[in-house]
Amino acid sequence: MTANPNSSDDGIIGRPLPRKEDDPLLRGLGVFTDDIPEPPGTLHAVFVMSTRAHARIVGVNVADAAQAEGVVAVYTGKDFLGRIRPVTSDIPQPGYQPVNRTVLAIDRVRFVGEAVAVVIAENRYLAEDAAELVGVDYEELPSVITVDQATRSDAPKLHDETSSNVLFHASYKTENAEGVFVSADHIVRDTFQSHRLAVLALESRGCLAVYQRRNDSLTLWTSTQIPHIVRTAIANLLDWDETRLRVVAPDVGGGFGCKASVYPEELITSFLARELDAPVKWICDRREDLMTTTQGREYRFDVALAFRSDGTLLGAKARIDCNIGAYPTYPLGASVEAGGAAIYLPGSYRMPEYAYETRAITTTTCPSCVYRGVGAPVAAWATEVLMDRAARDLGLDPAEIRRKNVLVPSNLPYTNAVGMRYGSGSFDTCLERALAAADYAGFRQAQTADRLRDGKLHGIGIANVIEHTGQGTLRYRQRGIVYVPGFDGAQVKVEPNGRAIAWVSQCTQGQGHLTAFAQIVAHELGIGFDDVTVVEGDTAFGTYGTGTFASRGAVIAGGATLRASNRVADKIRRIAGHVLKVNARDIKLADGRAYVSGVSEASISIREVAAIAHSMHVHALPEGDSFGLEATEYYDPAVAPTSNATHVAQVSIDPGTGLVTVVKYVVAHDCGRVINPLIVEGQIHGGVVQGISSVLSEAMRYDETGQPITVSLLDYLVGTAADAPDITVLHEESWSTDTAGGGFKGVGEGGVIGALPAIANAVADALAPFGAKINRLPLLPHSIVALMENSAPAGGEAKAPAR
Amino acid sequence: MKPSRFEYFSPTSATEAVEILVKYQGAARLLAGGQSLVPLLNFRVITPAALIDLNRCHSLDGIRRDGASLVLGTMVRQSAAETSEIVRTCCPLITTAMPFLGPSTVRNRGTIGGSLAHADRVAELPAVAVALGAIMVAEGPNGRREISADEFFVGDLTTSLTADEMLREVRFPVCSEGQRFAFVEATNRHHDLALVGVALKLVLKASRCEYVAIAAVGIGPKPTRLLASERCLVGNKLDAAAVRTAAALSIEGIEFESEPHTPAGYRRHVLPTLVERALMEAGSSSEESGR
Amino acid sequence: MPQRHKIELTVNGKKLQRHVEPRLLLCDFLRYELRLTGTHVGCAHGVCGACTVLFNGSTARSCLTFAVQADGAVIETVESLAARGPLSPIQRAFYEHHALQCGFCTPGFLMSTRELLTHHPDPSEETVRMALRGHICRCTGYVNIVRAVRAAARKLREEGLGRDSEP
Repeated sequence: MTANPNSSDDGIIGRPLPRKEDDPLLRGLGVFTDDIPEPPGTLHAVFVMSTRAHARIVGVNVADAAQAEGVVAVYTGKDFLGRIRPVTSDIPQPGYQPVNRTVLAIDRVRFVGEAVAVVIAENRYLAEDAAELVGVDYEELPSVITVDQATRSDAPKLHDETSSNVLFHASYKTENAEGVFVSADHIVRDTFQSHRLAVLALESRGCLAVYQRRNDSLTLWTSTQIPHIVRTAIANLLDWDETRLRVVAPDVGGGFGCKASVYPEELITSFLARELDAPVKWICDRREDLMTTTQGREYRFDVALAFRSDGTLLGAKARIDCNIGAYPTYPLGASVEAGGAAIYLPGSYRMPEYAYETRAITTTTCPSCVYRGVGAPVAAWATEVLMDRAARDLGLDPAEIRRKNVLVPSNLPYTNAVGMRYGSGSFDTCLERALAAADYAGFRQAQTADRLRDGKLHGIGIANVIEHTGQGTLRYRQRGIVYVPGFDGAQVKVEPNGRAIAWVSQCTQGQGHLTAFAQIVAHELGIGFDDVTVVEGDTAFGTYGTGTFASRGAVIAGGATLRASNRVADKIRRIAGHVLKVNARDIKLADGRAYVSGVSEASISIREVAAIAHSMHVHALPEGDSFGLEATEYYDPAVAPTSNATHVAQVSIDPGTGLVTVVKYVVAHDCGRVINPLIVEGQIHGGVVQGISSVLSEAMRYDETGQPITVSLLDYLVGTAADAPDITVLHEESWSTDTAGGGFKGVGEGGVIGALPAIANAVADALAPFGAKINRLPLLPHSIVALMENSAPAGGEAKAPAR
Repeated sequence: MKPSRFEYFSPTSATEAVEILVKYQGAARLLAGGQSLVPLLNFRVITPAALIDLNRCHSLDGIRRDGASLVLGTMVRQSAAETSEIVRTCCPLITTAMPFLGPSTVRNRGTIGGSLAHADRVAELPAVAVALGAIMVAEGPNGRREISADEFFVGDLTTSLTADEMLREVRFPVCSEGQRFAFVEATNRHHDLALVGVALKLVLKASRCEYVAIAAVGIGPKPTRLLASERCLVGNKLDAAAVRTAAALSIEGIEFESEPHTPAGYRRHVLPTLVERALMEAGSSSEESGR
Repeated sequence: MPQRHKIELTVNGKKLQRHVEPRLLLCDFLRYELRLTGTHVGCAHGVCGACTVLFNGSTARSCLTFAVQADGAVIETVESLAARGPLSPIQRAFYEHHALQCGFCTPGFLMSTRELLTHHPDPSEETVRMALRGHICRCTGYVNIVRAVRAAARKLREEGLGRDSEP
């Protein structure tokens, strides 16, 4: 751990405390959306999904379904016209074309799975029976599955309100971006194609809308990452009074970005609960989830890197096409994947010049939005693979070329080629630590040209990556994403008994917020960890906010919690100072007491201070202070802090079957000031394994007519414990320079960002004898075998695959 | 993903079960372990009018030795077969193959007969049955009939059982001295569903191959004996060269089909690898099967 | 109206009696009829393991079982592991090793871990990974789950808890 001038004294922040969340979850007492006790009279919704990728809807016959047993009503898109507004993702940014999406398809369906009707019945079983009776007449239209198909001159235009299927495009170049490619000694380039992924949170989506007629109010329980944004959307699109709306995210079983959109089902169930004056519930089953929940990361990247002959990186060029599916999503819009991929390409290296062109293209496939890491994992994969190739071409070891180019302390603060500022970081330190822990030198020493050991091909891969975390209002405005507020807030309150409660505007889905933020409160107030409760995810409490995605938890919610706690602590110090007759400055808070600094006998318990604040004590409050012991603060970082990491992966490949095994995995990681190292490591483990799974087995596939063919977990292959490695995590702590926010940086996505390039490079290294180029994902066993059989190694014949 | 409605029966004997099958004239399905069938019901891929639950037919879950046969009742749980000493001594290939059928939770409920009657094109037990020359005993309204494994498997998810027949028990030949076995698979993820599987029975006498049966699944709609490989091995010394030749010949006469997730070329590539590994495993096993 | 079948079964030590429609899945019976919502449904086709319960002492996927099949059966769900008391050794190990994040997959893992440690009191890392491959977790990457399971195994051995004791 590096010494840090901002290092606080040893306190609760930084301790690997087991989580407050765990006890009920371990006992099976978690309350996920489907676990909420259904109020009497709850009705169940089932959506009739389009079986065509692109078709005109000629007619929808609901007569038989409406008569079916247990059915209360059946609705089609026309029933909601004028009553639920279409969802519009309008990102005021040059090159952006907004699109409207009605909550149910009316004239046209644009992807298999798009809802055409909704059946409301007494229970789910009967609703499914009735849904089968809904007859839809389709007039098929040509479908477009890939970005190439959608951008052909004769491609069908999917949205009437746009001029083409390119919903967003942007380009940028630094002053000498073209020049460095002319003057470069060596250029490496390739086209990288990553397959569409399902985000696959283990708890699929769902909502329960409970309407109260007595005051015309509605509570929507929904498995979401963005309760405030959902609430505002419902208010706007249904023309309802926001003050009568409450959105609650109960326990949420994973999000990873797929629950960071407002979905038609949330709007429809809310609307119908009021319309029918009955609670309406909808749970997305796994088949629906694989067909309708937002997917991610279908990219084609053309990337070129320019080098001097000594391996110095001069610049990069990228052309990016992103397949965003049939509809852009709300609030993040069509540009989030395409734009993100482009601006996240500059990473851990000094890279003065950069040019990009990027496009978001709509196709007749499931809508795609953000999935953990968004474009960064693919951008990192492309650049890191090219770094390795350049190394080989220039006669350098892959570690060497990285040492040459990685940012060092004297470069900081560093503004990268797209204007993003890295205030602090440990890029070179993480590189060295990860290489050492993985015994990279030893591996290289023992490595043979044929890569074989014990009948398997062995390889090692390095990835240096960064993670842009905690993006605030400025970043979202710069990106044109106006419907994401960008800030979060915390209301911290000490009750008369001296214990604290913090309402935080974010929404955890397993990231341990209820623990980490309690550590912050306890640390600042000097009370016990067990004396703090954190509540999230409920719009009825605390402040407005943004939600939890894009690695913003620790930075923004942590920052808000810290600031609110500080104000409360200030008041405690003022009251204690008043009682102990010293200046508030001379009061220290620890162990549940307020001490006069250096005079331990002169103290008052924080519980007593709380009593004073609530006028339940003989002492009065100091002049100028009013009652209560609470504060509300927001946090909005001016600069999104950058985390950094180096991943080193070792793989072995069975040449007979092509199966890749991850043998060893090391991450040296810096996410600034660590609140809880257990939670940080857990985020890295989870991200890495999701990344490994997306490289080695996951792929959403469509046939040539646009039918999804991976609609079960038997076809969409998620890695299990038998596929995952043990992972070693080393910590560095370069505090964020915005210490008013606590010095925290985010960590949620870094694991994925590093895993794609690390595994890709390790596989490329193992297959070096075959000259395999790793520019396609995923790498299933058959992909590996094809690489062994079809690649052309530099200066030699392709070797027959060994058994 | 809720199943459509069905009538439910839980007979206590095969005779009773058959009566219900006859009554429903093909519109009823038999429920054994449910690990393969219930997903199809939940997806509504199949919507039978009736489900005949065999889990109360306790006369069908026996494991016994009957002369030269090991007899497994159709409802013998895969986990029971795996841990059975009788199975291990009589028919060790079954014991060897069991862990490949899936994680223990699946094998706790999954049955021997259920897997065979379901006849998934990548299921392991059909390969084992064909390699060993098992006899399936069907029971119908007209009594029992014996069907050889070769004739039992007709295509993907299709057996030669008629609509009013059920699989009652399976008879495996009890292995004798000098017999060796192996089972290997190629999978997309570690220890996952098979893409291609090979079951092997080998008889060596002084390093010479006296008999070999190699059955592969995943390379066609039903388990396939690799006759070209078998022919080149029988009568010859089993050395590295012979193993390589046999492996290379394994693809002979097989039309490999591409399907949406796996190209034909992969199965063509991996089959020889699996045959080679199975032969090495069986050939080098220090423990020959006993009685 | 569909024909309902009477079932008598024991769930978490309690005997009860209900009438159920044949197609009612066991997971739905446990969750909606008995309000035992600790057993979760992640896929409804027998892959993810979130719905794992003990059925007559062995793990079973409750999304692949019908409630009507549970007539005469003894069912144990995650709620039985600690009832009203302290966490069981396996639950405790998960807690100490941060082996859960969102918690959705956790009940299934706990039930399978219990079965694993009953049969393998000293499992290697490989054995644990193999044994738990019937469960999907999207949050933890399995790293801490594997560590927790082995720690629980060590603890159970140290405390001399035999096979008859509750892991």
